[in-house]
Amino acid sequence: MAIVKVERLKKVFGGGELAVTALEDIDFSVEAGELMALLGPSGSGKSTLLLCISLILEPTAGVIAMNGREVYHDGRTGIDGRRFRRENIGFVFQAQNLIPFLTATDNIALAVTLNGARDTAAQKRARELLDYLEVGHRADALPALLSGGEQQRVAIGRALANEPPLVLVDEPTSALDAERGMKVMALLKRVAKERRSAVIVVTHNGRMIAGFDSVYRLRDGRLANDAKA
Amino acid sequence: MDLAVKDVERHLGKFAATIVGVGALLAIVLIMNGIYRGNIGDGVWLIDHIHPDLGVVERDRGGPFNEQSRLPEDAYKSVAATPGVAEASPFITYAVQRQVGNSSQQFTVIGYNVFGGLGGPGRLVAGRAIERAHYEMVADEKLGLALGQEVRLGVHDYTVVGLTKGAVDSGGNPLVYLSLADAQEVLYQQDNRAIEAQCAASLKTLEKAGYLPAQAKKLLPLVAPATDTVSAVLVRLAPGADARQVTRRIEDWLYYNVYATAQERDLMLQGRLRKMTAILGLFRSLLVVVSIVIIALLVYVLTIEKIRAIATLKLMGASNWVIVRLILEQSLVLTVASFAFAYAAVHLTYESFPRTLVFVPTETLLTFVAMFVGGGAREPARHLARAAHPALARLGG
Repeated sequence: MAIVKVERLKKVFGGGELAVTALEDIDFSVEAGELMALLGPSGSGKSTLLLCISLILEPTAGVIAMNGREVYHDGRTGIDGRRFRRENIGFVFQAQNLIPFLTATDNIALAVTLNGARDTAAQKRARELLDYLEVGHRADALPALLSGGEQQRVAIGRALANEPPLVLVDEPTSALDAERGMKVMALLKRVAKERRSAVIVVTHNGRMIAGFDSVYRLRDGRLANDAKA
Repeated sequence: MDLAVKDVERHLGKFAATIVGVGALLAIVLIMNGIYRGNIGDGVWLIDHIHPDLGVVERDRGGPFNEQSRLPEDAYKSVAATPGVAEASPFITYAVQRQVGNSSQQFTVIGYNVFGGLGGPGRLVAGRAIERAHYEMVADEKLGLALGQEVRLGVHDYTVVGLTKGAVDSGGNPLVYLSLADAQEVLYQQDNRAIEAQCAASLKTLEKAGYLPAQAKKLLPLVAPATDTVSAVLVRLAPGADARQVTRRIEDWLYYNVYATAQERDLMLQGRLRKMTAILGLFRSLLVVVSIVIIALLVYVLTIEKIRAIATLKLMGASNWVIVRLILEQSLVLTVASFAFAYAAVHLTYESFPRTLVFVPTETLLTFVAMFVGGGAREPARHLARAAHPALARLGG
């Protein structure tokens, strides 16, 4: 069964003559353990699509289903968006979105405690993830003292903290050099395969997607006909 | 995990500096409270301290503390003879500016009957009361005098035999107690040149009135200004005497004005103190409002600094309570710690202030509550936190 299934998704900003259609007729699905790339130039609607899938932005029309359950259907959503995100989605965005006054461990532990776990359990889980992501030695460092690559690893750790079925990753390599960017992509592949999470990676850099299970190309808010690689 | 505590731990220096800054502002608010109450306290201190049953002053005057009043010294004898009066004491008060030690100081002289009369200094913190008819004085320690020190007033030296603490006139200036005769002498005694000038002016007036120079010289003592006046007569009523009846008798028979202590107090509060009290009250209110606004602005700035972190928290699914708690806890810590700093700073230093500061616990508490409950003014920060869109978290930094 697909972790995420999107059908006829449409997103329009504004109304009347000033209406801008950001997404139109988006259809795709992602399976557990699948690593999907969403390619497209700047302004093509990639990030808007991620925000719609996570219900941060409300779509204008279409259907979004998570694990077979419809979470959005043509303007109707019967769920608490924050709880839905907390339990089902991990986010990795560009660098610098870690909480600046929390250590690497606390950044990850915070996600666990927000989901109801006790502090000690959260700290333990955070340390395990940091070790898994090979940044255990930076556990007590603040984000400002971490390199760009280390920050992204911690962000991935935070996204995986509650073992979500879906991980959304937005331009993870934009703030990194090519070598570190490749390492982060390799790590995401490992996460998808070992943890069986569906991972959607938005990027404008086509050189970074070697080894991805599927690649979609987005242009002017529409997926290309020959989208699936 | 307490996010507010974590944030404070990471930015301890900045937070401490903010607390010191806000604390200094709150200290000014507390000092203004103290000045406001101190102004009232000083204004009525002398009235409350002397606390006669009645004060007899010149007709149609609001004296002796609000307005100049002049009575003949022997008026106390007529007052003492009024039925219902147990004791009547002459009393004089006036403000002077004289050289004391190395500096020119303003103070108020109180002259009273040092042999058991009303209006004396009461409790002393050092030394003794005036025991001799002349050349002894009791001074408030605010003047910086020591026991045994001699101070020149007019043409004589006066020895400090006792010290008071907190004895001030309505302007907050220290009091100096003298015997009645000494106080009158200090007020009226002139040096030789001034006396000569006064005599020359009086002679000229008499000659203009048609007297020959020889006649004018003989009449001179009769036109010399009186130097045995007093400001008031202080009255202690006989047990069981009706104050209203005694007042009516003195006013009708002797044609003076009579005030009870409470009336003198009201005259002072509604007269001399009213404008200054209103100004200080206005400043006090403005300072409270400005402090609340500044605290609210600081909290707002602290929130803006964390806006991306807040957006990230929302993205991660944090509830509003987690976010509001982060802001509220910090603003409350900021308020409480700043107030504690201000309170400690003011209470360690207030005795060094040139004006008397009086702190009323309920007012201090109310000021704290005003700052604390200034939560209404924190609403913009809370609104900002609520409005922060989680999409903001994905923006590159």
